[in-house]
Amino acid sequence: MASFDKADIEKLIDGVLPWPATQDMLKSSKDEDRFDKYVEIMQARVDFDDPILLPLTPQLFIVSSGGERVVKCKCGQSFGDYRVNWKLSALIHVRDDEQKMREVYVGREMPDPAWLQLREYICEGCGTQLEVEAVPRGCPPDFEFLPDLDTFYSEWLGRPLPDTATFEDKTLEKIAEWSNSAGG
Amino acid sequence: MSNFPLRDRMHANDDAFKTSGSLFGLTKLNRKEDDPGTYEAVWHILSNLCNTAWATGCKVSSSPIAAEGGDALWALHTATGEAVCISRGISAHAGLLSDMIKHFIELGYEDYPGFKQGDIFENNDPHYGGIHSPDFDMCMPLFHEDKLIAWASCVSHVSDSGSVTPGSIGFLNPDCYSDGIPISMERVGEHDAFYPWYEMRIRSRTRTPDFVMGDARGRLAGCITIRERLQDVIEKYSLDFVLDSMNEYVEDSRRYAVARVKNQCVPGRIRKSQFKDLAMKGKRVLLAKQDIDCMFNLPMDLTINADASVDLSLAGASGTVPFGENISPTALKSGLMMGYSHIVGFDMFNSGPTSAWNVEMPPDGSWANPYPVDFQAASGVAWAPAVTWLSNLYEVFGRLFQMRGFVEEMAAGSGSIMTAEFAGINQTGMYLTGLTLEQASQGSPARGYSDGQNSAWCIYTPEGDFGNAEVGELYYPILFLGRNVAPDSGGFGKFRGGLGHTAVWMVYNTPGLEYQCGDAGMRSKTVGNHGMYGAYPTVPDRPGYGHKTNLKELIDEQKPLIHERGGPDNPAVTSKIIAELSEDSAVAPFVTPESLVDYDVIVHPISGAQAMGDPIERDPESVANDLNEGWTTQRVANDIHGVVTSKPNGHLVPDLDATAKRRAAIREDRKARAVPFKQWWAEERKKVEAQENMDNAVRVMWETSMRLSPEYGANIRKFWNLPEDFTFTPDAS
Repeated sequence: MASFDKADIEKLIDGVLPWPATQDMLKSSKDEDRFDKYVEIMQARVDFDDPILLPLTPQLFIVSSGGERVVKCKCGQSFGDYRVNWKLSALIHVRDDEQKMREVYVGREMPDPAWLQLREYICEGCGTQLEVEAVPRGCPPDFEFLPDLDTFYSEWLGRPLPDTATFEDKTLEKIAEWSNSAGG
Repeated sequence: MSNFPLRDRMHANDDAFKTSGSLFGLTKLNRKEDDPGTYEAVWHILSNLCNTAWATGCKVSSSPIAAEGGDALWALHTATGEAVCISRGISAHAGLLSDMIKHFIELGYEDYPGFKQGDIFENNDPHYGGIHSPDFDMCMPLFHEDKLIAWASCVSHVSDSGSVTPGSIGFLNPDCYSDGIPISMERVGEHDAFYPWYEMRIRSRTRTPDFVMGDARGRLAGCITIRERLQDVIEKYSLDFVLDSMNEYVEDSRRYAVARVKNQCVPGRIRKSQFKDLAMKGKRVLLAKQDIDCMFNLPMDLTINADASVDLSLAGASGTVPFGENISPTALKSGLMMGYSHIVGFDMFNSGPTSAWNVEMPPDGSWANPYPVDFQAASGVAWAPAVTWLSNLYEVFGRLFQMRGFVEEMAAGSGSIMTAEFAGINQTGMYLTGLTLEQASQGSPARGYSDGQNSAWCIYTPEGDFGNAEVGELYYPILFLGRNVAPDSGGFGKFRGGLGHTAVWMVYNTPGLEYQCGDAGMRSKTVGNHGMYGAYPTVPDRPGYGHKTNLKELIDEQKPLIHERGGPDNPAVTSKIIAELSEDSAVAPFVTPESLVDYDVIVHPISGAQAMGDPIERDPESVANDLNEGWTTQRVANDIHGVVTSKPNGHLVPDLDATAKRRAAIREDRKARAVPFKQWWAEERKKVEAQENMDNAVRVMWETSMRLSPEYGANIRKFWNLPEDFTFTPDAS
């Protein structure tokens, strides 16, 4: 079973690992300790101390924070319960007319805003553009991934987490709250 | 080896898989365990045997599509149809070929008309599992002594299948009756030869019969190559070893894919929306019902279970369209097998990996399962929505690999696929129609650690080869004026997709030529939903052409011609030449309203692939390098990547201090102009309910998606807090 230096994995993440070494990683059987090394690397790069449970994206992490499992940006901005689509706690900028679209796509490159809107999800803490959606009006935001964290830790990694949480999508519960409030 | 009928064996295999969890009930891989070296060696011999068939078959084939572009595939199957290994070529078809063989068995062909050595069977009919008429699927039973021990199969994409419009990308076909010549689960030859009536049908019902028959002989030559070489392998390694190993390779591959999911992914639920436009209103169409614009909903809902099995649903897929972009569920699953095998189970590419998938039947009456509701639906270019849907797999598995730290395995999604076909009399006086292979060499997706590669990849074929320009010029009455890397065609992100290219053709030496700018997965009004980690998706497909130009005068006067596409707001087709009719940003797909003539110009762009990551995190040196190469523009460098450059020694270099300030300002601008999601949601839901600024095609799409998949519809209503009886209301037609 292959094993790679943490320093090389860091170089890979940063896009500076030489190609032969990258090829070696691509071709070798996968290293069993990669997840732990990756989490260690990411833990050292974030601006918070809460332990990372899962790197959701290179910028967003499910962490254990005060007994809760929440999504946090690298900068420490919290996006709440990981079972609610984190986009509901982000800032959003939507390009749904030609003027706003033109700042990205000009001339013949411009999509038709009656067919498509560009949604930019921004971290309130650091201004990072976390995701971009290119979807027609009416499309709920993609909840790209809802992990079954307890199965992952207990059955796949063989080390259960100290607490448990039901594997369920709670996004529509949040929407129902909004719908029942004045804002809805 | 069993003497039971094949259908019974096939059903017994299904039962064994259900009860044991292993294909063929193989809870142990005895051949692999007992003799791993020979097991591995035979795998490579069988794979090479398929590649030899590909090389032979493509050489025998006639059309430039197979002969020059290699747009074909050969495969070896077990006696019950599972694909064991495949050749180079259009790997998307391996599942289809496997299902075709199983279908022949299930339909009782073993009893009538029977299977014997030298029989040739074919299908291209989507109603029976084919994908679209130009893809001729062939299989031949392979016997050892008097026992059927395996199958050889092949698909090749012919240049014309006799559909209502010339060529092989039948996006304009209004119904299945216009899809061209059907070969509906037929025995088309015996004793290694086609029936005379098969050839007569090809000659009377296709426009390029010499090419189509040449390609048929190519398929046959490749299958015979597999048969003969397999006999050599059996003689050397024994029949029992080869047959046992063939089954084990399939189960081995299934185990590999399952293990890879468990070792490199995370259990949970994935959701990915995807959409694709088909704007035809006001264009040249065939029937009045086609004077409409369409939008496809291509959703993916995927669950990875605790046992690493995968559930896949297309709930929410929109309704059929009166064009050739509908696909049979069988063909869709074959494409899925290719995509999944590329991404997850590519150690041994065969039927194994996707056997661990539970694919829910797409909604009846959707583009992905048309026939229960619309039996007449056309499938002239069935790949078009399917291939855009498949692009999701690259992104969603890339996301999963990232979560486990396997950054080297990540890939963003693919770009779009827009084809170019010609029809007319060529320079030798011969009528010709067919596909160029430009679209078969796109940019490759951004990786987790680097940009994608330029013009080196294609989602539907690992060949990634657009063929030689000079060979294309031999077949078609065109001359290449340019084949250039297309700037800014790989999305905008920390890592960008590989760039696509632009072909610039001059029509020459023909009394008239039709240019079909075709849909094999293009987008022209929209872009892909591939804003992975904050990147912007690739740009829409917008070709151009000039009709009745001044090119002859420019040539005679030895003045500069047009060799490139020009900037997005300064297209070369209108700024560098004069033409009576100029189109610099045409909404694809379309057929030119009238035949093109000598010295007309076509500017045909090919997509790059998708990017990943926030564009302001892109390495400033990479941005400067792209500027120096002419692969990006100052506008994109400054406004989107936030990179400020200077030019001290004739080459642009990044000004790192100014770039850091510019990027900090961009972050602040973003925060200032964005609003909390809840605030946007409260306003947006009113616009959704009012259906404000939503094209009719979008409303039709939502109406069909929500009607065909009620639970999907209910969730949309819940999300936007819409009344329970809310439906989107298309314009009255």
